[in-house]
Amino acid sequence: MKKTAISRRSLLASALGLTLAGTIWSGLAHAQDFKMGLLVTGSVAEEGWNRIAYEALKRVEKELGAKISYVELQQNPASFEKAFRDYASQGYQVILGHGFEFQDSAQTVAEEYPDTVFLISSSNVHDGKVIGLNTDSSQPFYLMGAIAAKMGKAAGLIGGMEIPPIKEALEGFVNGAKDASADFKVSQVYLGNFTDATAAKEAAINMIHGGADFVVPDADAAGLGTIQAVREAGPEISTFSIFSDQTEIAPKNILGTYIADYGQGVVRIVKGIKEGTVPTSNVDFGLKDTDVVKFSYNDKAAHPVSEDVRKYVEDVRAKIIAGEIKTRHRQ
Amino acid sequence: MDHILTLGFLATTLGATWRLATPIIFASVGEVISERAGVLNIGLEGTMLIGAFTGFATVYATGNLPLGFLAAGAAGALAGLLFAFFAITIKANQIIVGAALNLLGLGLTSFLFRTYLVQTGQGVQIVPAMDVPLLSQIPYFGTPLFRQNVVVYSTILVALGAYFLLFRTSFGLTLRAVGEHPKAVDVGGRSVALYRYAAVLIGCSLAGLGGAYLTLAHANQFVEGMTSGRGFIALAVVVFARWSPIGAFFVSLLFGMFYALQLQLQAEPSIHIPYQVLQAMPYLATIVALLLVRNRTDTPATLGVPYRKV
Amino acid sequence: MADINIPPPTNATSILAGASLRAGLSRLAKATAPPVVAVLLALLAGAVLLAVTGFYAFDIFTVMVNGVFQDVGSIAEMLLRATPLILIGIGLCVAFRCSIWNIGAEGQFYAGSCAATFCGVQFAGLPSWAHILLILVAGAAAGALWAAIAGLLKVLFNASEIVTTIMLNYIAIFMTSYLVTGPLMESGAAYPQSAKLLREVWLPRVVPSTRLHIGILIAVALAMIIYVFLFRSSAGYAVRIVGINSHAARYAGISVRRSILLAISISGSMAGLAGAMQIAGVTHRLYQDISPGYGFEAIAVALLANNNPVGAIFSGILFAVLDSGSELMQINAQVPQVLVFIIQGMVILSVVGFAALKFQSARPQE
Repeated sequence: MKKTAISRRSLLASALGLTLAGTIWSGLAHAQDFKMGLLVTGSVAEEGWNRIAYEALKRVEKELGAKISYVELQQNPASFEKAFRDYASQGYQVILGHGFEFQDSAQTVAEEYPDTVFLISSSNVHDGKVIGLNTDSSQPFYLMGAIAAKMGKAAGLIGGMEIPPIKEALEGFVNGAKDASADFKVSQVYLGNFTDATAAKEAAINMIHGGADFVVPDADAAGLGTIQAVREAGPEISTFSIFSDQTEIAPKNILGTYIADYGQGVVRIVKGIKEGTVPTSNVDFGLKDTDVVKFSYNDKAAHPVSEDVRKYVEDVRAKIIAGEIKTRHRQ
Repeated sequence: MDHILTLGFLATTLGATWRLATPIIFASVGEVISERAGVLNIGLEGTMLIGAFTGFATVYATGNLPLGFLAAGAAGALAGLLFAFFAITIKANQIIVGAALNLLGLGLTSFLFRTYLVQTGQGVQIVPAMDVPLLSQIPYFGTPLFRQNVVVYSTILVALGAYFLLFRTSFGLTLRAVGEHPKAVDVGGRSVALYRYAAVLIGCSLAGLGGAYLTLAHANQFVEGMTSGRGFIALAVVVFARWSPIGAFFVSLLFGMFYALQLQLQAEPSIHIPYQVLQAMPYLATIVALLLVRNRTDTPATLGVPYRKV
Repeated sequence: MADINIPPPTNATSILAGASLRAGLSRLAKATAPPVVAVLLALLAGAVLLAVTGFYAFDIFTVMVNGVFQDVGSIAEMLLRATPLILIGIGLCVAFRCSIWNIGAEGQFYAGSCAATFCGVQFAGLPSWAHILLILVAGAAAGALWAAIAGLLKVLFNASEIVTTIMLNYIAIFMTSYLVTGPLMESGAAYPQSAKLLREVWLPRVVPSTRLHIGILIAVALAMIIYVFLFRSSAGYAVRIVGINSHAARYAGISVRRSILLAISISGSMAGLAGAMQIAGVTHRLYQDISPGYGFEAIAVALLANNNPVGAIFSGILFAVLDSGSELMQINAQVPQVLVFIIQGMVILSVVGFAALKFQSARPQE
């Protein structure tokens, strides 16, 4: 996050310029720059959800030469609309609101700024230039559930808060496990926040004592507590690395890594927008988008996933991509 | 459902209880000492965060665990010094200063973490668990209860030490007198302010150590705001424990048990209680407990009141 | 706690009136100078921190102030953010004047939001004005009730309100989480949020093409009313006496219990009303995290105003400027937004520092 003083100075100079431009020239002066803004509800410094968006923003800067900026708003729905408006009024062409909760405010602000494209993460909205970008985590979690059911006795899942991206991911895991082995037991715990790594660790320890040999977190920074618990429990307990590669933290226990290369997907969409093609529907990234949703194995684990399980996984992966297996919304 | 009633489940609960209670024991025993001297510090949450961050940053930079705990305790004491200066020397309202300390603790640790320690990858090596000879051999209970790290065991010493300090030393006698009859202490020729400073510094360094437990002896990472309200819980513990360090130890365990049970019951698919109800349990229990305690006599007489010389 | 009482209006001659005006002005200057200096000191401390960590503090603060006061729209946004802070702050003035340490405004805000949302999505068909009134009253009532729990526990069981209000915060937040994932969840949608309030029950807006709603006017009016209540009514007098010395109050025949319950209920109702206005005026639906900590921030708002409701209007605006500014700081200079917590902490410390020093010099002996 730290830059050289020179670049920060110039960033500030341009920011001051923009403030003035906003009042005097109504943003005309900077019309030629391509700019993208990002709104997140927490810290981009931590591993997990918000960091993914930050990485995506950096990719857009690097690969498309865009000017970028981001703002951490805490969980404050009242501030979303203003932040959208701040960016839109400064002539930002694309603004990414990272979470379904940004949807309402984006739709309101979009009416006033018809030239700006509003991307909303974890949403399936499509309303003019307000476009949902959903990463369907239930698909890779389905694969993890299948592996757990094929290799283990019982699994435990630790979610941060009960919000759609997490609920759906856990649902995918349960479905994957049940389809692979009908009476495989999966238990779930929600922490109620994304900060309490201590609770995440204790929840994992409890699940392990209760007989789970797979414990998988989906709780951002707090999830590190779960990985820690699994590592301390020894090589018989397994887990997966979620969203980013944490294999080095517990190399014996992490059987595979689900990486959501959201940056790749965002760059693809934003590139289109820069060249003049705004998506005509909401975007759903899944296993079909092999450049975005990646699932890979860790061969150095104490008990790496065996060949026949991998074959089963490849089989269901193909069926998910073909639309033959539904990983979420089953009822 | 059946295994809830087994000894194994019970033992697991008790082990988790102790680990989850540990940071609260440190903070609440520290607060007992501070409140016994008449100083109410609601800035425990911020102090714990400062300890958690300082401990983590120190060990991340040096790899030296004891040094990390030392730094965390010192950072807590430093926060205490700031608090004491405003609350005791300047005689500002203690609740206000405590609220400011909470804001500063959260703001400073998050700001510094983002500026200097964003990518900490593997985190730090934490204090390893160790077996207590013989006790860890007990069937069912041995492993969950007596295979903890030394920081968890040390909570017994912390509580006993605070008891000894408060009730078996002349320093403790004077310290308690400062909370009850500061004027008498003053007339007797001893400095009320000095004793209060000492009480706050001891209390805050314990809170700092409690914070360091989170990053150096439980999880191995710093997470912004990771104390998640434990400092406030510690405040409630002190009242519930009637300002007794031994009481604070056991009441903290009770809270730890609620935390542990909450996580365990959620993991039982056969129990259909909304998880929010389970999470609210410890807080509801505190309120009920306050009704049961229902006393006024144990409160230090001058709690929260600055002492002005005649 | 030092009082800043604006002197009562006098019916004396014009000369006397002039003198009293001058005295009033100088007293006002004396009352406002310390907070202003304190805020400047805190900003200076923030600037030093920025400089030490490698940012250009002066430029950043320029961007921040320019941005917040850039045009009508940004000022309206800042006032929009000030509205809940002012409302909760003036309520807390009453509680704090009574020496009731209500740390639970956050929970009371959540309780008010929940009740307002329930009334907002129910009772379709009411005339729009009646429905809005119902939403606001329900919010205020829920906030008052939530606070009254702590008040009752205090007067009946002598349970520390510091502890009970903190506990009630957690319970209210978990309750909200349960409501938006359960009974109040928008039907047919996957998100943990309530249904959206119909446009008819949105609070009317006061500045065209901005979000600033009528709540800011209500907040200012209520600040005046609460000022009059505290300093010009016998019930308010009783509240203040109980706050200064409850034994003396009891001796003087004042019902301490009633004053405590009244004070904490008023503060709860303001927090609940703020929650209702946030629903009906800003977000138009309930979310799990409806407040980013307004209830805690407002504690500082009240204290900075020395528990004077009229002063709370200004301190509420100051904190809103800091909040809005810190977001701009991040948008334009990528300074971590958490800096605002540090500055707020510093503001409180330097304000209490000044207040206490003044108090000591004014009263060398007790």
